Amino acid sequence: MFAAVTGQDRDPRFHAATASRAERDAGARPALSVVVPVYNEEENVRPLVSAVRDALAHTESWELLLVDDGSTDATVAVAEELAERDRRIRVLKLARNYGQTAAMQAGFDHARGAVVVTMDGDLQNDPADIPRLVARLEEGFDLVAGYRERRQDKVITRKIPSWVANRLIGRVTGIPIRDNGCSLKAYRRELLDRLHLYADLHRFIPAVAAATAGARITEIPVRHHPRLHGRSKYGLSRTVKVMLDLMTVKTIQEVRERPLQLFGVGALGACLCGIAFAIAAVIAYASFVARKAQSLVFPGVSLLWFGLAFYLLMLGLIAEAALREELPRRRGTMPVVREVGGP
Amino acid sequence: MSGVGVEVSRAAVAASAERGDSPVSVSVIVPVIERPESLTDLYREFSAPLRAAGRSFEFLFACEPWAYPLTGPVIDLARAGEPVRVLEVALSAGETTLLKAAAAHARAEVVVTLPAYRRVEAEALLTLIERVEQGADIVLARRWPRRDSWINRLQSRLLHALIGRVAGAELHDIACGVRAMRRRVLLDLPVYGDLARFLPLFAMREGYEVLEVNAPQHGADVQTRIYGPGIYLRRLLDVLGLFFLLRFTDKPLRFFGLIGSGFLLGGAAVLLTLFIQRVGGQGIADRPFLLLGVLLVVLGVQAIALGLIGEIVVYLHAPSRRPYRLARTSRNPPPER
Repeated sequence: MFAAVTGQDRDPRFHAATASRAERDAGARPALSVVVPVYNEEENVRPLVSAVRDALAHTESWELLLVDDGSTDATVAVAEELAERDRRIRVLKLARNYGQTAAMQAGFDHARGAVVVTMDGDLQNDPADIPRLVARLEEGFDLVAGYRERRQDKVITRKIPSWVANRLIGRVTGIPIRDNGCSLKAYRRELLDRLHLYADLHRFIPAVAAATAGARITEIPVRHHPRLHGRSKYGLSRTVKVMLDLMTVKTIQEVRERPLQLFGVGALGACLCGIAFAIAAVIAYASFVARKAQSLVFPGVSLLWFGLAFYLLMLGLIAEAALREELPRRRGTMPVVREVGGP
Repeated sequence: MSGVGVEVSRAAVAASAERGDSPVSVSVIVPVIERPESLTDLYREFSAPLRAAGRSFEFLFACEPWAYPLTGPVIDLARAGEPVRVLEVALSAGETTLLKAAAAHARAEVVVTLPAYRRVEAEALLTLIERVEQGADIVLARRWPRRDSWINRLQSRLLHALIGRVAGAELHDIACGVRAMRRRVLLDLPVYGDLARFLPLFAMREGYEVLEVNAPQHGADVQTRIYGPGIYLRRLLDVLGLFFLLRFTDKPLRFFGLIGSGFLLGGAAVLLTLFIQRVGGQGIADRPFLLLGVLLVVLGVQAIALGLIGEIVVYLHAPSRRPYRLARTSRNPPPER
């Protein structure tokens, strides 16, 4: 389904980044990898593992990667004990608490399955949904996102902000995913090889995947359970962060094709403001305030706007230079979804 | 290995006869950068306790071009059979680069960084090395008890209080420069140039275990130091740089966006006030307040636009860097890198 990788083979940095590929290829490759970031979930690890075991009892081969994100409780000890007894379970321990995005990326880098499923470590997702996600993926998608039906969370602090955020993210990115906050998702290996997550991008995976990797995306409803053990690790405070991240994602989307335009639009707006105030200055001089130093206000404002326009244009050129240098290297991996004709 | 070519000098060649045989237990790296004291005296004083404890060791003097002439006596030591090597790097690129270059050439798995001037009593090295051998990644010497003047201590207190706030680290003497660490850690740390002072903070950010151990301050280190205003300004800039590097390297828009939004809000408030007054019939053509409002908006847009450029750069580099470091994996041995 995906065309052979070109170009990238020659880029040494690409090899550096995917050195883990060799690690992945070692040993037998399971069909399915389940990646679960865990952070201070000592009470949840055991039930989680047995739930995954039950859910995948009929699957031919699978592995479960528990990515410990710098837990300070007994999470790692419990996980490693389980891994000792079941070879299908692997534990990755991060050096400190990096956050969910980095933990997921660590899981992706070390997962060996042709299909990778992510989910939360707090048992609010139901592993029983995994086979349905995988089945849907095999109908011809690169990413299947779950959305939580009858979500079991507090209304004021979780559900309403989440509803607003999802609408906004859908609007801005043009990828109308119902539930960006749901971790239960299934990915094709080929997509993950081209997806590089950092900072807090895990909330925008569908948008980033669609914009930068041309992913075919769909969503299905999944179950959602109330939290039994441990505390929720999120709060309302992230609203500002999400807004800024959304701006980042939008920029990444827009800038890939036409970097100069993005800044050019801003420059044009500033220019128009400058012209408007220049006209106002002319009118003011001609009619009423042509005497004093204070009459420099309109010309001054006009010049400020022109200064901003100039500055934005220069930044646009910087962006253009950075992207023109870098993007062709990564273009080589654009997937060819279908090929018709030929010998 | 470390980006800057290292010229293995005459002395190193002289010492190469013994290199390659049994590895030593500790490599002491002396970056020769500022106000060096007699390097041979330094060597004699600090090698004595190591020798007394029966440890095998080597001293590496890493020099920038300007310091080449200082190495003559050290080369004589090497000729006389002392375990001393001199590394002359090809160009000046800051203390961290020197340290990394030397680490690349060190033969021991445990390295000690020792400034080219005496800061702590020589016996302290043994404790530092032991702690690393017991499993710590980096062990810092803290000059304590201090025999400095109160003015030095006050300066140090203030600097560390500031750093503590910025980096969330409880350290007391990062300027000391006497540290023991695993060689691998020094090579892997993403530090460069003049950031050597803050090396422990970057190590903590990478999830390494960093310890502080008290070491009596050396008599030669006791002097009142008051610097010119330029130095203090530079320290403040260092801390600002640190603040950004430690928290926002992979999300610049969080930093610039927050500043920019502040400006934008201020500007919007000013312009709104003016707008209401204008609708109320008051003229605004002679109000410099309008200039302020527009200036704030312009600054806000500029900060945000810069943040977006930063995000583009980070995005472009994403494929070539891993956003995490693994402490270990089950069953598989921990990865080498």
